[in-house]
Amino acid sequence: MLTLLTLLAALPAPRPFALASDGWTIRASVVYPVSGAPIENGVVRVDGKKIAAVGKGGGGGETLECAAVTPGLIDLSVDIDTGQLSVEQSTETAVRTSVGDALDLFSYEWRRDLESGVTTALAVPADYDVIGGFGVVLKTGGAHTLAARQVRPEAVLRGSIGTQPSSGNNAPRFGAPQNFYYRRPTTRMAVEWVFRKAFYDAIQGEGAEDPERAADQQVLRRVLSGELPLSIQAKATQDVRTAIYLKEEFGIPRVILDFAIEAWREPELLKRSGVAVVLPPFPPDGRYDDGFVNDSYFLPLDAAEQLHELGVPFALSGHSARTVGARLGDQAGLAQRGGLPFEAALEAVTLVPARLVGVDKRVGSLEVGKDADLVLWSGKPFEPTSRVIGVLLDGELVLDPRKR
Amino acid sequence: MTMNAALQSLVRPALVLAVLVPGTRALAQQEGKLVIEAGRIVTQAGPDIENGRIVIDGGRITAVGKADEVEKPWDATVIGGPKFVAFPGFVEAHTSQGMDRPNESIDVAPFLDVRDSIDPVAYFFEDCLRYGITTVNVQQGWNCVVGGRGMIVRPVGMTVEEMTVRPLFGMKLSARPKSGKSRATQMQTLRGAFDDLRTYLEDLVAKEKDEQGYAKREALFQGRDLEAEKAQGRAMTSTAWKVDGLELIPRGAIDERYEPLLGLLEGRYTVFFQCSEPVDVAHALEIARANGILAKTTLVIEDGCWKAADLIAEAGVPVVLEGPVVDVQRDPITGEEVETFAPGVLHDKGIRFALSSEDPNSRSPAFQAALAIGRGLDRQVALDAVTKVPAEILGLGNEVGSLERGKLGNVLLFSGDPLSITSWVEQVVIEGKPVYDRSKDLRNKHLLEGVQPPRTAPPSAAPGEDPEHAGEKGEKKDEKKSDKGDEKSDKEDKKEDKKEGGGR
Repeated sequence: MLTLLTLLAALPAPRPFALASDGWTIRASVVYPVSGAPIENGVVRVDGKKIAAVGKGGGGGETLECAAVTPGLIDLSVDIDTGQLSVEQSTETAVRTSVGDALDLFSYEWRRDLESGVTTALAVPADYDVIGGFGVVLKTGGAHTLAARQVRPEAVLRGSIGTQPSSGNNAPRFGAPQNFYYRRPTTRMAVEWVFRKAFYDAIQGEGAEDPERAADQQVLRRVLSGELPLSIQAKATQDVRTAIYLKEEFGIPRVILDFAIEAWREPELLKRSGVAVVLPPFPPDGRYDDGFVNDSYFLPLDAAEQLHELGVPFALSGHSARTVGARLGDQAGLAQRGGLPFEAALEAVTLVPARLVGVDKRVGSLEVGKDADLVLWSGKPFEPTSRVIGVLLDGELVLDPRKR
Repeated sequence: MTMNAALQSLVRPALVLAVLVPGTRALAQQEGKLVIEAGRIVTQAGPDIENGRIVIDGGRITAVGKADEVEKPWDATVIGGPKFVAFPGFVEAHTSQGMDRPNESIDVAPFLDVRDSIDPVAYFFEDCLRYGITTVNVQQGWNCVVGGRGMIVRPVGMTVEEMTVRPLFGMKLSARPKSGKSRATQMQTLRGAFDDLRTYLEDLVAKEKDEQGYAKREALFQGRDLEAEKAQGRAMTSTAWKVDGLELIPRGAIDERYEPLLGLLEGRYTVFFQCSEPVDVAHALEIARANGILAKTTLVIEDGCWKAADLIAEAGVPVVLEGPVVDVQRDPITGEEVETFAPGVLHDKGIRFALSSEDPNSRSPAFQAALAIGRGLDRQVALDAVTKVPAEILGLGNEVGSLERGKLGNVLLFSGDPLSITSWVEQVVIEGKPVYDRSKDLRNKHLLEGVQPPRTAPPSAAPGEDPEHAGEKGEKKDEKKSDKGDEKSDKEDKKEDKKEGGGR
């Protein structure tokens, strides 16, 4: 026994945990904290899972060097394939289901988002219901459990206005066998009606003697009080209008219009209503005739710039694009091509989305005490000549710039 | 005027015509001199020039240099200014766009000519100008076995003649299976095309030798006079395989369905060989080698073909990369997604490659070159891939691809660094003639900048608003709106025109 101990003592000190305890020092030609002005030749110090310092000097741990560092990007409209299994189709208002229970954390698409710089995402149920349930904000990497990745479990309630909740449904026909496709809305009007009825009943307490309905209505009242944001998919102009009219009719304080292709067509309404907007990815070369979106929708390249001018809070989204050159960082580039200033583009993929879903205390900017989610760039962020060369997620190096 | 000068003035236009292929008209032949000034000139032939000046006369560049060193002709039109960056026009090495239906249902159709299919008002050509593409090689689509002959055009003009740079340039062959064919039948048909040619020529010679006068009788039947055509027989000396005695057959007696393929064997056309999978590369090279056309072959490669880079390098052929710059594939075993930077693989193997506007993500050569640089490709290699290399593939290495004295005056004026996402092609000059100005491109304004339709806002916007703020912002907006409203009506008119014109 004694010999064994002597042997151990003679060995060099083991250092497997040295990295974790010493953390990282990231030196960049420009540090973009988002919450403050860019810092030239700046340093971000990461200790454990958190940011320990942002500034000019300091060090410790292992050092990584890069041209630029930004906070981890945040995408409120990822497209991780959960399919129809993420939405309960036995009812049009699946209020209390959560998409968290349907997410496949093993899907390779998380890694795609993570390596392109998206560290935090909002996942929502597929839009087959008028009200589809809770969306969840989570990290795109880490252990394969929801508990480990979750940033905010009931981040939004998801709704959908437009054709998608009614598509594929049939109107009831006399003598035809009944299945649940016959029960669901078949028109834009009915989608709106289902939406309105849900909120009206919640206000009235209609049928509240049924504990199931009472619980649903409790959630809807959280939306009405402003405690829970309502994320509504609204693509076409008329869907944007409907969503805003509903917001105003019921006095819903926090509404996020997701995939709002044509929100830019309603500047007055947007401004008056105080909604926030999540823009879909720009179609290739800014063209809408290239098959990305249906011909009847139109998203110009300066849509983000128009919203910026109006003062409407908006976030950009990458929709987990497979194509390199069309991901979230590239969207921030395209938005600049449409005239959006760099600073606004940076905010639209970091701090603005963080605020919209209430996670800005943890992510969205480089501030002491926030999660150490960092993106390391080879050049000026969002330029096609630059790329993401490194990613830190919760202080862990998940993409190593030294291997690029 | 001396006799000599008079003679010269007569002869010179004729010479210019003779240099270009018959039937071609130099775009700017009759135009005056043009001076382009720029804060920076990226010549692609040596270092960049700060505060430079380009002089174009008769469609060609006569001087490039610093503004204080290059004399400005007194009678020249001047465009540009210090805020612009000048760059040579991009060259598109291969496209199947701009045609009215780019494919033909006949498997082997070397007798076709894309000239008959090119639609000068196709939206594609307009887009070329927006992206700064000034030289375009149009070839038949991939859905063929042996396609027709293509041509090189400039994307301006109302007739194909006006657009023509090189007629009857290149021929399309496809190793990618035509729809409805398996790879096996595609290869069989490819081999068969050349076998058929051989059999046909051998029959022709045999019949001639048997003194059946087959060819003569056929010509007589078609009402053609072989002697008058001055058609001379020619031996197959320059080809990989031969048909003995072909010199007995006058060229005019060879069926037009076969003649272009014989021309291909004799090296008259550059082959654009379409490959969609790595295995197609092997197939294409096999056919090219078997028929002695490897030296004239350019591979048009799609998504995963970079895997065959070793084969391509060994064959020493250039390629046009039609797939995305970064190929994203999912490993079927591990389930992991793997990204491969295709130009990097090609460059490492020493393969000359051109990027293409057929990339599904972006038609813009500038964007693609930028992406390639972002992924670590040398800046010069990336820029060459959209200028010099495609120019060389098209045999226009001395004509386009850089801003040098003697080359065609194809110049782009960018609003900033050509590789930046925020830069736009502001002006395009083709052969000394300004052909595109973004400030006048109404359609671009509509598509890319968005136009707020006038008066769509509901009237309910006003009540309840703070009158002070409403006044301020309302005023500003009204101004903007009325501006844009006027533009819109123009635009709608133009859009109507376009619809009648055909589009793509």
